[in-house]
Amino acid sequence: MKRIESKLNTASAEFLANAAHNRRLAEEFRERQRKARDDRPQRDIDRLRSQKKLLVRERIALLLDPGTPFLEFSSLAANDAYDGEVPGAACVTGIGIVSGRECVINAGDASVKGGAWYPLTVKKTVRALDIAIENRLPVVHLCDSAGGFLPLQADLFADKYMAGRIFRNQCILSKMGVQQVSVVLGHCTAGGAYVPGLSDYNVIVRGTGAIFLAGPPLVKAATGEENTVDELGGCDMHTTTSGTADYPASSEEEAIAIARDIVAQFKRPKKTHTEWQTPEDPYYDSSDLYGILPRDIKQQFDMKEVIARLVDGSRFHEYQPAYGTTLICGYAHIWGYKIGILGNNGVLFNDSSLKGAHFIELCNQNRTPILFLQNITGFMVGREYERRGITKDGAKMIMAVSCSEVPKFTVMCHGSFGAGNYGMSGRAFDSRMLFSWPQSQTSVMGAEQAANVLADVKIRQLAKSGRTLSQADIDAIRDPVLGEFKRKQSAYYTTSEIWDDGMLDPVDTRNALGMSISAALNTPIGDPRYGVFRL
Amino acid sequence: MKTATSAASGWPFSTVLVANRGEIAVRVLHTVQKLGLKGAVVFHAADRNAPAVRMADHAIEITGATPVAAYLDSAQILAAAKSCGAGAIHPGYGFLSENTGFARAVESAGLIFIGPKPEQIELMGDKVRARNFVEKGGFPVAPSAIEDDDPKTFVERSRNVGTPLLIKPSAGGGGKGMRIVRDLSVLEAEIERARSEGQRYFGDGRLYCERYIENPRHIEVQVLGDSHGNVVHVFERECSVQRRFQKIVEETPSPALTPQLRAQICETAAGIARSAGYRGAGTVEFIFGQGGEFYFLEMNTRLQVEHPVTEEITGKDLVLEQLRIAAGEPLGYAQGDVSSQGHAIEFRIYAEDPGRGYTPTTGPILALRAPQGDGIRWDSGVVQGGEVTAAFDPMIAKLIVRGTDRNDAIARAEKALAETVLLGCKTNTAFLRRLVVHPAFVAGDVHTGFLDANPQIAADPPMADETLHALLAAASLSTRPMRDAADCVPDLHAAIGEWRN
Amino acid sequence: MQHAFKLGEAEHNLALSRAREAYCLHVGDRRVPIDLKTSPDGRTWLTLGTRHVEVVIATRGDEVFVHLDGEAHALRYWHPLERLAAQAGGGANDLIRAPMPGSIVSVNVKAGDTVAKGQTLLVMESMKMETTLVAPRDGAVAAVQFEKGQTFERDAILLKLEAAAGEGA
Repeated sequence: MKRIESKLNTASAEFLANAAHNRRLAEEFRERQRKARDDRPQRDIDRLRSQKKLLVRERIALLLDPGTPFLEFSSLAANDAYDGEVPGAACVTGIGIVSGRECVINAGDASVKGGAWYPLTVKKTVRALDIAIENRLPVVHLCDSAGGFLPLQADLFADKYMAGRIFRNQCILSKMGVQQVSVVLGHCTAGGAYVPGLSDYNVIVRGTGAIFLAGPPLVKAATGEENTVDELGGCDMHTTTSGTADYPASSEEEAIAIARDIVAQFKRPKKTHTEWQTPEDPYYDSSDLYGILPRDIKQQFDMKEVIARLVDGSRFHEYQPAYGTTLICGYAHIWGYKIGILGNNGVLFNDSSLKGAHFIELCNQNRTPILFLQNITGFMVGREYERRGITKDGAKMIMAVSCSEVPKFTVMCHGSFGAGNYGMSGRAFDSRMLFSWPQSQTSVMGAEQAANVLADVKIRQLAKSGRTLSQADIDAIRDPVLGEFKRKQSAYYTTSEIWDDGMLDPVDTRNALGMSISAALNTPIGDPRYGVFRL
Repeated sequence: MKTATSAASGWPFSTVLVANRGEIAVRVLHTVQKLGLKGAVVFHAADRNAPAVRMADHAIEITGATPVAAYLDSAQILAAAKSCGAGAIHPGYGFLSENTGFARAVESAGLIFIGPKPEQIELMGDKVRARNFVEKGGFPVAPSAIEDDDPKTFVERSRNVGTPLLIKPSAGGGGKGMRIVRDLSVLEAEIERARSEGQRYFGDGRLYCERYIENPRHIEVQVLGDSHGNVVHVFERECSVQRRFQKIVEETPSPALTPQLRAQICETAAGIARSAGYRGAGTVEFIFGQGGEFYFLEMNTRLQVEHPVTEEITGKDLVLEQLRIAAGEPLGYAQGDVSSQGHAIEFRIYAEDPGRGYTPTTGPILALRAPQGDGIRWDSGVVQGGEVTAAFDPMIAKLIVRGTDRNDAIARAEKALAETVLLGCKTNTAFLRRLVVHPAFVAGDVHTGFLDANPQIAADPPMADETLHALLAAASLSTRPMRDAADCVPDLHAAIGEWRN
Repeated sequence: MQHAFKLGEAEHNLALSRAREAYCLHVGDRRVPIDLKTSPDGRTWLTLGTRHVEVVIATRGDEVFVHLDGEAHALRYWHPLERLAAQAGGGANDLIRAPMPGSIVSVNVKAGDTVAKGQTLLVMESMKMETTLVAPRDGAVAAVQFEKGQTFERDAILLKLEAAAGEGA
């Protein structure tokens, strides 16, 4: 495999301007992350300290093996919801290494609203458990939650992917033989009680941990029975009498140490074999990515320059280098793992769609996971292309993506518009992991385009009723639409809604993909199988 | 040295029993076997796997209420000698080496006691008799006055002792009631004060008084006498570095002596031995004042722990000399034939913790690497896989270093001590290293109270961060739960490291 | 930082991780690249940052003995589960161990007694010196392991403490 020869002029004004712009975006992202993680009202921190509780990130630090990475999911979930009052959606999820095992961590953040479950908390938790199911990863639950946020109960309780799904997923994991351990660090009340209850193992902290279907006030209201927390669902009762909890611990540190020792007992599954070679750092510096990404969403850039900053040795075997050139296809290694890459270098035409579908089939044939690098405005439109069957060619690509048996990974590098999002394995297409770069945008079409379409519709309606519109009237219709569109296609909105697994500083992409691929290989890869391709 | 087998032919014994243990048993057996004689040893079960037991031609188990008691049981030892056909018994040092009764019992049993005549042991074993004997011979003893001799003249006689002098309660001990007098005008007042303190502490107001030697040095002289009346000295050893009145470092020649003083003190020792008609190897100990004055302290009628330094600079095998003398051979050389070359220092390796008041330590010997190299001698009674217990004296080995001169010996010693590896039981080697480079030691400026006056040498120095980290690193990588936890991290995640997104 | 070693009286919390090559020691905020390798001639070499030094290491149970730079050192490993359980019990000083080998002269407390910090628990003798062992903290005597006259080796557990009744949460 030969090295990609970068054509980038890192001294050019364009590069430097891009770099300055994107570094600023990365810094802004880091700052928002920092706030979401650490900025809490002092009284909330004081309350936890007075209860001898650790903060959620201190707990995770104790849980994880020292010197190992933590791939956090959706760190900015809910950043654009609930008036920004539920940072991170009141929970921390991710893949970390516990006693040498790749595990999904699901930790409630009691410093946010007492760890209450908001709709997006539930969504983030369900997604984390979906990741555990898809990648067969053991789960460590660090339970400390006040329970469902009642004013929004209708948005979190009953539907298919709402709170019940958490428990359903726990059961499915257990059925698959994927082990779970819960550490009860606070109260697990009502539904929350099932998290430790449905775990294979659980540890409970004396004094602060409790498990019950209803806490003392509710029990008193219901039956008149008076109980202390410890009597009703404390550590000693559950570990000596009910058998609901397994291991008593006298401190959070001890409980987490016990949990680590439990995970150390888990069998380590054999990973699926795919091609692997000794990893090699990229030849080109990953920080060049800041200078590659344009400042304007409409401006093109060469995705091969991005690939050169992500893959081992910057080496790339390009498939069909001369055909369908708006879609780059080829093989490379990331952290040693062989991967097939599809990257956009323009709009998808008939040839590029066919090339993509064919390459996806090749990857499935030789068991190579696939990485999609999205910068797509969509499939080409127009009479000429329809006549050539752009719809059925796009359908072939979507069929190949949907039915792909090898694990897929998607990075929203820049634009993701229209059906291109689908063809390039958008959220609906079950990529094992999907990450967004800060300046990326996702929507059915470009914001200006959409605003114009909407304005046109309105203008035509009004014209029918005989009214003519001044430019000011048109702007008054168009601008709010444009503003709303822009907000909702921004990566901050998509990540807030958990349409991805988190925003990434571009320079972190290689590590995030390495961990994602490694996790994905815990699940066997099935034989290639598809639906009907429209030929 | 003559070839071994022919040297011992015609001797009245062909098997020698060593009635001792540890390094000295090994040391004696070494020479015995080199001579072509059979070496036997007695041992208590606690020493079953000791090196002396392994190397001996015969090893006979003895028992006792305690391990030490076994080695003090003459009857069992004599029976052991009989059982293995030993014609002579070497008592080593300690245990029965200076026991008149044992020496007599050996002789009554028709065996040869490798040591002096019983009456010589008896004489030197009685400190008062020995002192009087030496004084009568015209040899220097520290001036003193005993109140009981004639209470009426005690003050007068004390005055004659000269300053500085030390008044001690006759019944005393542990420094209580002792008064140092530097000015005779306060002598009577101090005597009264010492008397009242003695009365108060010990219920006994009787006193005695002796010349006080400030910051004294301990210098001793090795002597050899045969059964034909020949006596020579084999030069001196200085043993001033002591802790709790026990020697730690011994060296020869003494850095405190001029050639004249050296000749004088060695001749004095030889004279004392000669006047006693001394037979065998013995050591005359002197207390040596900073002004060059020296006084007889006592005579040890046995081989000393520190005998190797003498061997190193004279080339004489003192155990061989003991055996020859016991076999009735004449020394065969005159004083003028005994010469010394270079400098030798012995370090006693103790299982103890100098930083905790030299308290003894115990433990398994998990790793043992003796230092090696030119001029390095390692006399040891322990081996890797053995164990140091509280049953015996905590001295487990001796490191003897020879150099062309004192500085050369010190340099080699520092290196050899650093290379001495003994793991599993704390020893004093690190302390000895600090001691050997201490400016006072390097200058030869030490006295018997030196370590008490410089407790910082014994204290564990504060540890540098880098040393601490190195220890934690070595320990972490040698501890299974830690290493296993680290090793089970997959390659990828170890390579990515502590990354956060 | 869950693992710990005792070196002398001091307890050092630390962690060990695998690095891209060899290992990394985590002490406080420091991260030190380390490794331990045995060369073909059987000698053991410790790497600490940029420094390579020969060491001799021996272990017995939780004890690790290291000869480094000409000196022997003894460390005692403390497993996190043991250490954290002991901490929860009221402090790290629950086990009163013999500072040196010796014998018991007197035992001044019995199981169940409430003791105050500094109170004499027992008197031991070693090499004809008496040493008084006192309570390192307030608490209660859980068990007395030796009787008057009995002998013991260094680090033997002489007495166990626990939280006094009514103490703690």
